[in-house]
Amino acid sequence: MNHNIDRDLFRRIQDRVAIVGIGHLPFAKDIGRPISDTAVEAIQLALEDAGLRNDELDGMSMFEMESTHEVAIARRLGVRNLQWWDKISYGGGASAATLMHAAAAVACGLATTVACHRARNRGAKTARPWAQERELVKDDKALHVPWGLIRPVDVIGMWAHRHMHEFGTKREHFGNVAIAARKHANNNPYAMMRGRPLDMQTYLSGRVIGYPLTLYDCCLETDGALACIVTSVERARDLRNVPVLIHSLAQASGPNPVHLANYNNTPTMETTSVFCAQLLWERSALKPIDMDCAQIYDAFTPLVITGLEDYGFCKRGEGGPFTEGGRIELGGALPVLTSGGGLSEAYVHGFNLILEGVRQLRGTSVNQVPNCKSTLVTGASGVATSAVVLRTE
Amino acid sequence: MPLHPDYPLPDVDDPVMRPFWEAARQHKLLLQRDRRTGKAFWPPKPLYWNGGEVEWFEASGRGNIYSYVVGDEPFLPAFKDQLPLIMVLVEVAEGPRLVGYMINCKPHQMSFGMPVRVAFRDLTERIGLPVWEPLRSAD
Repeated sequence: MNHNIDRDLFRRIQDRVAIVGIGHLPFAKDIGRPISDTAVEAIQLALEDAGLRNDELDGMSMFEMESTHEVAIARRLGVRNLQWWDKISYGGGASAATLMHAAAAVACGLATTVACHRARNRGAKTARPWAQERELVKDDKALHVPWGLIRPVDVIGMWAHRHMHEFGTKREHFGNVAIAARKHANNNPYAMMRGRPLDMQTYLSGRVIGYPLTLYDCCLETDGALACIVTSVERARDLRNVPVLIHSLAQASGPNPVHLANYNNTPTMETTSVFCAQLLWERSALKPIDMDCAQIYDAFTPLVITGLEDYGFCKRGEGGPFTEGGRIELGGALPVLTSGGGLSEAYVHGFNLILEGVRQLRGTSVNQVPNCKSTLVTGASGVATSAVVLRTE
Repeated sequence: MPLHPDYPLPDVDDPVMRPFWEAARQHKLLLQRDRRTGKAFWPPKPLYWNGGEVEWFEASGRGNIYSYVVGDEPFLPAFKDQLPLIMVLVEVAEGPRLVGYMINCKPHQMSFGMPVRVAFRDLTERIGLPVWEPLRSAD
């Protein structure tokens, strides 16, 4: 299929832009500080990790859901002149897109050094956005909220249940995802679920939240602040860390998008990730088989099953069986969510998946995949989404 | 049962959705179709789309369960009286899939592909909400 990609233009980005610094604050149920403050510290940490001065920063890419203004962050950091910035919409769909927009800006000279970040205070039960829904429901939300379909667990559960019916996917398959993420988190000193093992029996007896999904199918709710620094590969080579190259990237809404509930997009209800994956691999010299591990967005366990299918690691309907026999755990053919992901490290709209991808390529993960050369990091399925392939030189 | 003060009511004055909600108030289910091909689609488009090639039409109000979830606590307070709430994706006879919820049905009675028909719940004087109930063989 021809998506009219100008390959020569795309090569200005491909492997020409690198992630050179990462930083994050310890995750918490209640971090006790506003995101306007934690965001600044996370970026500060990422700059220090890169060995860059604050006044070298000239670009900023963040989530539209952030209430903090770019200039407020820039002022507190001591940025001399912010010359490019961007806010990207759709919550967890925006994670990899912060890198994509930053890479495009760096590649065409609009900025030299960009901080991408997510600061999110959602640990408290009162902070759940779906629980605030009581105004007149407008626009796309009027297509599902008046029927009570508003909790993400139900919106995604609709997909998951259909997948179970159509392909014979079992709860044990979802359990394999939850257990893999938990095993990885158990080794991660930053993970909210460190030291809290999970076995299949416990998984299967989890409290029902929205049938067919239960407690252990759901991500955590966490306060966190994370950042990474993006610059040109030439500059990256002079800095202290192994440059982590941005090899391919994509954003996609798919046809007929309705926030999370775009159930009319294809005959068999594929998620937005199908369309994102198509662009991502068209632009990539690497293929799914080349990925040494994958950080697949995991707000809910079924999204990892469909993500494995959507991003081409297996065929449609085979995502469940793919998780069997430890294949997605460390030591398996495709370790997934090696930091514990949103299910067991922290739920910060997938930004922790980016940082874990960088650590794997630097060789510094607590769950290091031996000789890791390339990895996939994806944003949320269901919403308009994004994904990125990262590699080493 | 009285309507909960925090019920998330739809904006029935939305310029695209207004005909749908006006019809629903009269207990009719409207969908849109392509004037040229006759193919029904959802969600609806503005009537000026593609030079005015779309039109509303009254749907059969019949469909089958494409998927469903059963919601329980914690839930929106407005739905507390309805828990456990069976939220459904109905593949209507005309093709598209609509979000709704079931009435006159218990979770254990649900199955994939089961036939359903539309019913209406009057939320306010202006708002009739299309909901779904099992289609029994006598219907």
